[in-house]
Amino acid sequence: MINLYFILPEIFISLSIMVLLIIGVFKNSSSKLIYTFSYLVVIISLAINVNISDNFSLFNNSYLIDDFSSFIKSIIFITAFFVMLCSYNYVKIGNFLKIEYPILILCSLLGMIVMVSSNDLIVFYIGLELQSLALYVLAAFNRDNLLSSESGLKYFVLSALSSGLLLYGCSLIYGFSNTTNFEEISRNFSFEYGVIFGMVFVLVGLAFKVSAVPFHMWAPDVYQGSPTSVTVLFAMLPKIAALTVIIKFLYGPFLNLFSEWQIIIIFLSIASMILGAVAAIGQKNLKRLIAYSSISHMGYALAGLTTGTNDGIQSTLIYLTIYLIMNLAFFSCLLMLKRDDIYYENVQDLSGLSKKHPILAFCFLIVLFSLAGIPPLAGFFAKFYVFMAVIKEEMFFLAIVGLLTTVIAAFYYLRIIKVIYFDQEKERFDTNFNFGVKFSLAFSTILILLYFINPNIINQFILSISVI
Amino acid sequence: MTAHALFFYVFSFIAIISAIMVTASKNTVHSVFFLILDFISISCLFILIGAEFLGMIMLIVYVGAVAVLFLFVVMMLNVAQQKNKWFAATSGSKHIPVGMIVSLIIFFELIIVIGGWKFKPDLINNISNLNIPTTTNTHMIGNVLYTDYIHLFQLSGMILLVAMIGAIVLTFRQREGLKRQSYIKQISREKKDGVELVTVKSREGIKIDV
Repeated sequence: MINLYFILPEIFISLSIMVLLIIGVFKNSSSKLIYTFSYLVVIISLAINVNISDNFSLFNNSYLIDDFSSFIKSIIFITAFFVMLCSYNYVKIGNFLKIEYPILILCSLLGMIVMVSSNDLIVFYIGLELQSLALYVLAAFNRDNLLSSESGLKYFVLSALSSGLLLYGCSLIYGFSNTTNFEEISRNFSFEYGVIFGMVFVLVGLAFKVSAVPFHMWAPDVYQGSPTSVTVLFAMLPKIAALTVIIKFLYGPFLNLFSEWQIIIIFLSIASMILGAVAAIGQKNLKRLIAYSSISHMGYALAGLTTGTNDGIQSTLIYLTIYLIMNLAFFSCLLMLKRDDIYYENVQDLSGLSKKHPILAFCFLIVLFSLAGIPPLAGFFAKFYVFMAVIKEEMFFLAIVGLLTTVIAAFYYLRIIKVIYFDQEKERFDTNFNFGVKFSLAFSTILILLYFINPNIINQFILSISVI
Repeated sequence: MTAHALFFYVFSFIAIISAIMVTASKNTVHSVFFLILDFISISCLFILIGAEFLGMIMLIVYVGAVAVLFLFVVMMLNVAQQKNKWFAATSGSKHIPVGMIVSLIIFFELIIVIGGWKFKPDLINNISNLNIPTTTNTHMIGNVLYTDYIHLFQLSGMILLVAMIGAIVLTFRQREGLKRQSYIKQISREKKDGVELVTVKSREGIKIDV
């Protein structure tokens, strides 16, 4: 019984999903109430999770609670809270505030935290499926919209394919190492091609989830098609979970095969950085643009993993955290572009924003500069840590490609700034934003702006984590 | 051992041939027939290696539910329009001969498996190299599923819940102007609410307000 204490967040979320469903069924028009309750659920789970500080493994060592997973879980809860906070107005106006919306978010949250603390291939796969199944539905949530249905279908079909590859990889690994447990896998084999094949297949499945090139094709369409409130979710939550699993997977059972998978990760990283930077140049839709931007950001995050050192992993985690903050700020800005209950999402709609909305324009400026990696904003430090870790391992080629793509990527960020500040001004947008959007924008922008004064406010949590 | 090899080759041959036919046949209904045959042959293979639980689950879930559902969908949607040009028979249903062949093969397979089971019980025991005679497969799976893998069992339940919620969200539509039956209203209706006694004057009639 005492062991159940360690999975209290999971149990709490599962039970509250069922309770909320029952409330939704029996109480008429309770969607707003349930949305509010799910904030509470997320916050309470965060509080429970912060309180659990021991290392513990449960269920025959297939479920592992340690510093790393607890930290990532906290990040997931905080992110989920802000995602729901900043998108409430959009959901309400877009007329898809149904009881199922927050419940599905909670379900995918449950899947993610299971993934994050998995120490076994089966647990990891079940968590992944739970998470993505909820996300398929969320992508198609605006079902009367053609683009939304298309994005849901596209995400479902491609994701099912990648799940199949991943499962095939898992079965190969199981077949050659005779176990599904992460710790035992590394003990049970020395060097076998079957296991390497399996590892590559699993990596392909995970690369699909973080949308690393060449498994990125779904990202722009899905980001553009799904409702913006869901795009926020797509851009942030699944990436944390999948990247964490990549770290656990590569640095757990397959650390012996470092030289084999290092090349794969380097390729994924370089290809993502280049494609993300080049393909975003021609984009006119902001959501599509941020999709390509997130592809290139995942490339930088993966670059930290190529080092094989603890520094590299920590730099990746710092990058991930700052990436989340920047994306939160960007989407909060995007969710403010509303005029007469219609949300605007094209680059041209931003034209001349600075004249009528100086504060919003300034926030956009900060976010875009930070995404481009201009000092002294947080985005610069994120890239700085990653490149430091890479250069320390003397992988100069990767660092040089990274720096070059940063310069290319700066072009399209700066182009948006030019549109905001120097183009013909248009009509005013609405200014009666609700508290949620304003709060998340203010919170994230201030973090980005003032991160350089004391980087330790974020780094202190990460630097204590050691994976290897 | 010869019997084992013989059965194995028969079933796997049928499985492979029917798997090829699923993709090769141009008529969608025939594809589904062959899919069913494929599933049944594979479940026979499972039974041969002593995994009778898996074999039966395969029969129930895949053949009983999935494949029959496929068949219904294919027949309802009428996607079988692209007719097979090779055996161009202009009149009569072409599903019947293929269906007959498939069902005959299935019949013989079942006779082989069940016959071997009934009349020579040691045959399957000899074939399977499982050395746990006292507990059945089902028992063993249940033993680990509800103890060691209880968390996975529960999480799979959550996945099914999400699938259910998702299906409802994506397909349920509140219809306008739907007239529902309300029992409580019907029962609590009194005579005086429904029936009215009117005296009709001669030669005037009455206007019934509907």
